Amino acid sequence: MKELAGRLTALDPDAGAAVRVIAYFDRLSESRAGLEALVRGAAVLSGVPARLFDADRRVQVRVEPDGTRQDSDLPPDPGWPSAALTPDGAPALWLERAAAQPSVVDAVILERAAGAVRRVLDRTRGRAPIDDPALVETVLDATAPEAARLHAARRLGLDPAGQARALAPYDGRPRIAPAHPETEPPHAGHRLGIGPVVPVLDLPRSWTAARTALRFTADGTAQDPGARVVHADDLGGIALLADLVVPGAEPPPDVRAVDTAAAATPWLLATLHAVASTASLRAAATEINVHHSTLQDRLAHAEQLLGWPVRTPQGRLRLQLALTMRHLARA
Amino acid sequence: MTQVPPPFDPELAAALEAIKDMISPSLTSEEIEAVRTGPGIQLLGELDLTDGGFFEVEDRAVPGPEGAPDISLLICRPAAEPAAGPRPVIYYVHGGGMVLGTNRVGVDGPLAWARELDAVVVSVEYRLAPEHPHPAPVEDVYAGLLWTAEHADEITGDPERIVIAGASAGGGLCAALALLTRDRKGPQPIGQFLQCPMLDDRNDTPSSYQMAGLGIWDRTSNETGWTALLGEARGGPDVPAYAAPARAEDLTGLPPAFLDVGSAETFRDEVVAYASRLWQAGGVAELHVWPGGFHGFDGFAPQAALSQAARAAQLRWLRRILG
Repeated sequence: MKELAGRLTALDPDAGAAVRVIAYFDRLSESRAGLEALVRGAAVLSGVPARLFDADRRVQVRVEPDGTRQDSDLPPDPGWPSAALTPDGAPALWLERAAAQPSVVDAVILERAAGAVRRVLDRTRGRAPIDDPALVETVLDATAPEAARLHAARRLGLDPAGQARALAPYDGRPRIAPAHPETEPPHAGHRLGIGPVVPVLDLPRSWTAARTALRFTADGTAQDPGARVVHADDLGGIALLADLVVPGAEPPPDVRAVDTAAAATPWLLATLHAVASTASLRAAATEINVHHSTLQDRLAHAEQLLGWPVRTPQGRLRLQLALTMRHLARA
Repeated sequence: MTQVPPPFDPELAAALEAIKDMISPSLTSEEIEAVRTGPGIQLLGELDLTDGGFFEVEDRAVPGPEGAPDISLLICRPAAEPAAGPRPVIYYVHGGGMVLGTNRVGVDGPLAWARELDAVVVSVEYRLAPEHPHPAPVEDVYAGLLWTAEHADEITGDPERIVIAGASAGGGLCAALALLTRDRKGPQPIGQFLQCPMLDDRNDTPSSYQMAGLGIWDRTSNETGWTALLGEARGGPDVPAYAAPARAEDLTGLPPAFLDVGSAETFRDEVVAYASRLWQAGGVAELHVWPGGFHGFDGFAPQAALSQAARAAQLRWLRRILG
C-alpha cells in the first residue's frame, strides 16, 4: 500500500499548492518540530536547497531537497528568494533558487517557514540567547585578560568582532543581549538596567552603565513610582548623579523631605511622580485619575510639606532631582 | 485496551497532513479496484528503472508454480561488469496489502541498495487476492525464488548470496517464503529483510486497535487485505503459517532477519512479537521500532530525519549480511 501513495506524495514540489504548504508547516509547529525539520520542510516543498542563517543567535542550517543536512560556508546569493524573521529584519531564510521567478508557492513556503522558525527560536533561544553565568561574568569583567574575554565570548556564541549590550536585572544574573535595536530585551515587568550597544570587548563598559541605569529604575508601584526599565543611553548627564549619591548613606535633605511627606500622605509619591514625568499638570491629573482642581489642591499641600514650589520650572527640576536621588539613595 | 495512540513524529505528521486527501487510513474491499486503476500505478510506470542507465532492465517470464501460469520477474542488474565475481541478489517482493501493486512498486528502494552494494535486483510479480487467494501469492513468490537461485549465473548473480526482501504485504510474503523454503529444503537465502511486514491475520493486537482510523493501513485496511487472501478462514483456527507467518509454531532454522516498523502503526505489536519469537527460537534478528513512524513512513516521506535514519539502518544491515 505504502509505495502506491509514495509516488503520489505531496512532498513532490509539483503538488506544492499553497494550502498544502500551510497545512504542512502548521502541523510541524503544532508538534513543536525543531529548526532542521522546518528548514527541511522548506527544501522538500520547494525542491531546492533551503538555508537558515541567523547571525544574532549564531544559527546556521542548510538542507538539500532530498532532506539531507548540508551546511555551507558560502554566503547566500542576494538574488535568491528570502524572508526575514522579523518585520524589518535582515533576510534569514533563503530558497536557493537561481534566476528566481516570483513564485506564489515559494513566497508561501518562505512566509510559513520563517514564522515557524521564529517561534522555535523564541521558544528555544530567545529567552536567554546567552546564559552560562561563568562565561557571562568573564566577558563583563574588565579585569579579566582580553584573551579570556574573547574566548568566553566565542563560547557564548558571540561574534568577537560584533556588538552586543549588557543587561542588569534587579534580581537575576547579568545577561548579554544582541545588538539589534528591534530586539527589545525581555524583562517581564522586572526592574532592569540596559547598557549601551558596544563592541564585544567593551562589554564591561556596557555592564557598568547597565548597573548604573538599574539604580535609576523603580518598582513602578504607588509606593515606588517610576520606570521599571532604564536605558543607560537615555540618561545623559543625569547619570552623573549616580556618583554623587551613595546607596544606603544618609540621603540628601530634599530626599528626606520627600520621604517624610510621603510617610504621612499616601497619595504623595504617585502625585509628585506624575507631575515630574508628564508634560503638563493636565496630563499629570489624567495620569493619576484625579480632577484638575484636586491635583491643584494636592500640590498646594505637597508644597507646604516639602517646603519648595513644584509648579515652577525651577521647583519642578528640584522635584525631579529629589525623586531621582531618592532611587539612587536606596541601599 | 488503550485507545491513546503514540504521537506521530513531527515531520511525519506534517507529511501525513500533506497526503491525507490522497490516501485514507482505511481501505475497504469495494475500493480495491479503484485504487488499482488509480493514478498511483500510472506514476509508478514513469519510474526510471535503469536509474540513468546504471542498470540493465529486463522483464522475464519464468515458470510459475506447478499447474499455474508463468510469472514475470523484473530483473535489474548493473550494466557494468561485476567488480569482483558474482553479485549478491536482492529478491524483492512488493507490498500492497495482498490486493494491490505490481513488481514495480517500491522497487526504487532495492535499486538504491543495489547501486550501493553492486547487487542484482529481482522483483517478482505475484498473483493478487481476492481473485487469487492463498496460496497463489506465496507460491508465485516461491517459484520466482527457485528460478532466481537456479539461474543466478545468467543474471551475474551469486546463488549463495540471495537476500529476500519485502515491505508490508511483501514483508509478510518474505517471512512466509523463509518458512516455505526451509521446510521444502529449497534455496536458502542468507537474510530475510522484513520491512513493516504484514504477519498476522488475526488483526487483534493492541496496536491494531490503538491506530484504528489513523495513519496508513489501519485495522479496516488490514481486515480487507487478509479477508481477500483467506476468505472466511481469516482469524479462525485453520490459517496456515505460509499464509500468516505469525501463526508459525516453529521459527527455528530461519535466516537472519531484519525487521523494522513504526511505533504508530497497526503492525507494531505483531512485528515486535515476531522478532521476539525469532530470538526465543535461537534465531538472529535485528529489530528497529521507529518512534512516531506510520506504516511505510520512509517510503512516503523519505526526506524526513526519521526516514533517513531508518534507511541508513537498512543499508547497514544489508552490508553486514552481504559481507
